[in-house]
Amino acid sequence: MSDAIKAQTSDFHDDLAAHAEGHDHHHHHGNFWTNYVFSLDHKVIAKQFLITGIVMAILGIGMSLLFRLQLAFPDTQFAFLETLLGSKWAPGGQISPEFYLALVTMHGTFMVFFVLTAGLSGTFSNFLIPLQLGARDMASGFMNMLSYWFFFISSVIMIVSLFVESGPAAGGWTIYPPLSALPEAISGSGTGMTLWLVAMAMFIASSLLGGINYITTVLNLRTEGMTLDRMPLTIWAFFLTAIIGVLSFPVLFSAALLLIFDRSFGTSFYLSDIYIGGELLHYQGGSPILFQHLFWFLGHPEVYIVLLPALGISSEVISVHARKPIFGYKAMILSMVAIAILSFIVWAHHMFVTGMNPFLGTIFMFFTLVIAVPSAIKAFNYITTLWKGNIRFTTPMLFAIGLVSLFIIGGITGIFLGNAALDIPLHDTYFVTAHFHLVMGSASAFGFFAGVYQWFPKMFGRMMNSRLGYVHFWLTFVALFCVFFPMHFMGLGGVSRHYYAYTAFDFMSQFGDISKFITVSALVGGIGQVIFLWNFFYSIFRGKKASANPWEANTLEWTTPVNPGHGNWPGAIPKVYRWPYDYSKPGVKKDYLPQHIPDEEVEYEEGFPRPATMPEPQQPSIPAENEVIEDTNTES
Amino acid sequence: MDLSSIISIAQILLAAIFVLVSINLYLVFRLKEIDPFANWDANKVNANLFVLFWIALLVLGFGSSIYYGDRMMFMQEAASAHGQDIDKMMWATTIVSVFVVVVTGTLLFYFAWRYRHREGTKALFYPHNNKLEVIWTLVPAIVMAILVIQGYVVWDETMMSEMPEDAIEIEMQGEQFRWVARYPGADLKFGKASVAYIDGINQYGLDLRQRNSQDDLVIDATAGDIVLPKGVPVKVWIKSKDVLHSMTLAHFRVKMDAVPGMRTSFTFTPLYTTAEWRDRTDNEKFNFEMSCQQICGGSHYNMRRIVRIVEMAEYKNWLASQQPFYSVWKSTQPQSSTANEAEVEDESETEEKVADAEEEEVEISMNNN
Repeated sequence: MSDAIKAQTSDFHDDLAAHAEGHDHHHHHGNFWTNYVFSLDHKVIAKQFLITGIVMAILGIGMSLLFRLQLAFPDTQFAFLETLLGSKWAPGGQISPEFYLALVTMHGTFMVFFVLTAGLSGTFSNFLIPLQLGARDMASGFMNMLSYWFFFISSVIMIVSLFVESGPAAGGWTIYPPLSALPEAISGSGTGMTLWLVAMAMFIASSLLGGINYITTVLNLRTEGMTLDRMPLTIWAFFLTAIIGVLSFPVLFSAALLLIFDRSFGTSFYLSDIYIGGELLHYQGGSPILFQHLFWFLGHPEVYIVLLPALGISSEVISVHARKPIFGYKAMILSMVAIAILSFIVWAHHMFVTGMNPFLGTIFMFFTLVIAVPSAIKAFNYITTLWKGNIRFTTPMLFAIGLVSLFIIGGITGIFLGNAALDIPLHDTYFVTAHFHLVMGSASAFGFFAGVYQWFPKMFGRMMNSRLGYVHFWLTFVALFCVFFPMHFMGLGGVSRHYYAYTAFDFMSQFGDISKFITVSALVGGIGQVIFLWNFFYSIFRGKKASANPWEANTLEWTTPVNPGHGNWPGAIPKVYRWPYDYSKPGVKKDYLPQHIPDEEVEYEEGFPRPATMPEPQQPSIPAENEVIEDTNTES
Repeated sequence: MDLSSIISIAQILLAAIFVLVSINLYLVFRLKEIDPFANWDANKVNANLFVLFWIALLVLGFGSSIYYGDRMMFMQEAASAHGQDIDKMMWATTIVSVFVVVVTGTLLFYFAWRYRHREGTKALFYPHNNKLEVIWTLVPAIVMAILVIQGYVVWDETMMSEMPEDAIEIEMQGEQFRWVARYPGADLKFGKASVAYIDGINQYGLDLRQRNSQDDLVIDATAGDIVLPKGVPVKVWIKSKDVLHSMTLAHFRVKMDAVPGMRTSFTFTPLYTTAEWRDRTDNEKFNFEMSCQQICGGSHYNMRRIVRIVEMAEYKNWLASQQPFYSVWKSTQPQSSTANEAEVEDESETEEKVADAEEEEVEISMNNN
């Protein structure tokens, strides 16, 4: 194995040498295994993350549809469920209460970690960081490959845990002990939970290997002229995401490790005074609240690990398709930096009513509501970018605009939940479910879709079908609101999350009608995703051939050949002369001005003076970036 | 057939018709080599759909808010004193956020529609404006500051104030899958209780050797509803026997986790009796329900207890009619057990001294509260 890897590594360096000399154009050396399986090429690794993420998404969304059936029709028996899940978990065609919780748990785990963290960040950080920065590959191609394979093993273990006899983990994706520590409390906390913890340990290793690589690459492998303030906002987002991940994932690892100790080696970090199953357990002196602090120290930054890449992608997509520079480039960066920093000091807003000292609640309430400010800046900047634009409603643009609306509508409910006093009635109700599914789940998923539609031509050299894309978008967008918007009403009515049925409580059972509506809408939304899958896989092989720069965008990835080989540019790496958002610049002939075009080669409109005497734009302000760019150019 | 079933069936039918018609049209058009959408301006269609979507969302959103108004709790009165403050804040926050969403959403979708691509036009090169950035940093900051201060005041009153002199105390213990209440009895003091004392009959884990425990009431489902008086602050001590639970009284805006190994608490003042609430809501079957809102195992969804709020006099009568758990426990012990009991006491004399010392500690800490 190690020899093989060595061989690949040296192969990779040969490759780079070949590129540098400008000889190699097509990259057919290497065999199937080195090209497509244990590849060191960041583009192949990105596609591996993408396909694995899609598989995990199919499973995760599939599980949600199963438990939605139970919620809408608590007394109906579906024969196919018994066929699918077996008579143990769905006796008589009705999901059992414990397996319902297992489905909820695994849905959360799959979607948060495997789809929206690895599937989103893994795909687009890997794909775009070297391409948009002008690098031939990641700083360490080998570590990058390891990152994917740790993720792959982790996915396999997590899927295997679905099939163990005692069932998969069932204590919620937040795995709060003691429930997750005691198989006596719920059968999913047996082997299923052990596998969950092992899989997550692998996942964290994968995430750290990837994150360190992204940070190193962004800091060290930018092409000439690509200063930090000329980086596309996508790269800023991936960069900050990687920093958050590297700082917070190790804390989840320690939390999981202590939980493993409690489960298997008899320690009492999280457990104390427990009588269960007719037996007094030996645990003394631990605190379940300690686990919650450790978990949410990752858990809250995790929300931004999921969301920031989506915001980065939408910034890029909106600017390209509105044919207009992103409004407030520096404000966008600063607000992302602010969100990244604040994300580390708000974790306990998940714990206002868990028995934590209420004084702490006041502090966390303050920081939590501070986050609303940079978030508001971002939303306003998106809207201003659309103002007086020249908007092309391509599929990525539809998803990006949809993302902004989800970010606003889902984000605003955060000021309810972040406010400790209002969290008392709302905590652990459907209001929370609605909030994070809109702002974190759906907004990030829209970022994912926007990214896939936008960079599909660069990934596979073909276009996705736009009409199917429109149908996919509108079905998804409408279904999404039909699913999650009514959940606000349920939450405000006090309906609890994680309930197998609402029938036991009078004040909850009156929401049965909404529940049915939600489930049917979810099924319709599911059909929308089938359209996406068909479009995706069909277009890989049969889609319309793409041109080199189909969206007429400015960033460097569009300067590569349609199907870039390993090393990305057959010739020299392009130099960068300006920021990435010179769209519709006054005087310039086309409505875009790629980063790699030197000033002397820019085509100006007839009669427009050369840059030396170029008048200031009529607008009240001039981008600072442009002044900087011109200065450096005259120097060189 | 109720409205919801009709809507669900309509949804399914519409989706099925949509899919079938699409497939048919696709096949027909393909056969005849017609492209029905050839003349469609996709840009215009999508731009219009965004506006249509936004109008529909606003109409349906406001419409269903009114339709579901009587089921959303903050739109009704809260049944507790602090709950009414929380509801006022909820209204304020709702008004602010609905306003923000309507304004920003309208701008977003209006701009998307108004500035859709047109041949021959060029977008405005407008990369930044620091004045605007400062405005929309400061305005949200000020609004957030107001909400934080408001929230801090309510939170402080609800969670951090001293226990009132006249408060009555009860204890709720969560376990898989029920809530059991304990009342301190005539001496108004809780005796020691711990999972270590649990046995077949003493499921609550009272230390029955203590005098303070001997008059404690244990109200489980067999003893009927949990009864509390109206108009007096109630301090609920909350604990758990096994895993995390969360004691929730939705109508009173009360929620606090039950954590094994520690006691948490929540103080609230009921403002209405169950009978009064039934009159107000015109619902003869209404009950205040206690639920668990922290995932705790298979029957998490079934941890229901009814809390009955009554006038003070009735509460006192009810208290007097309850039997302390100790006497229940004693009646289950064999008659000849007096001798055995004495033996046990002899054996555990030293243990008991330790227990007594602990008991004093408990009392001290309780006084501090």
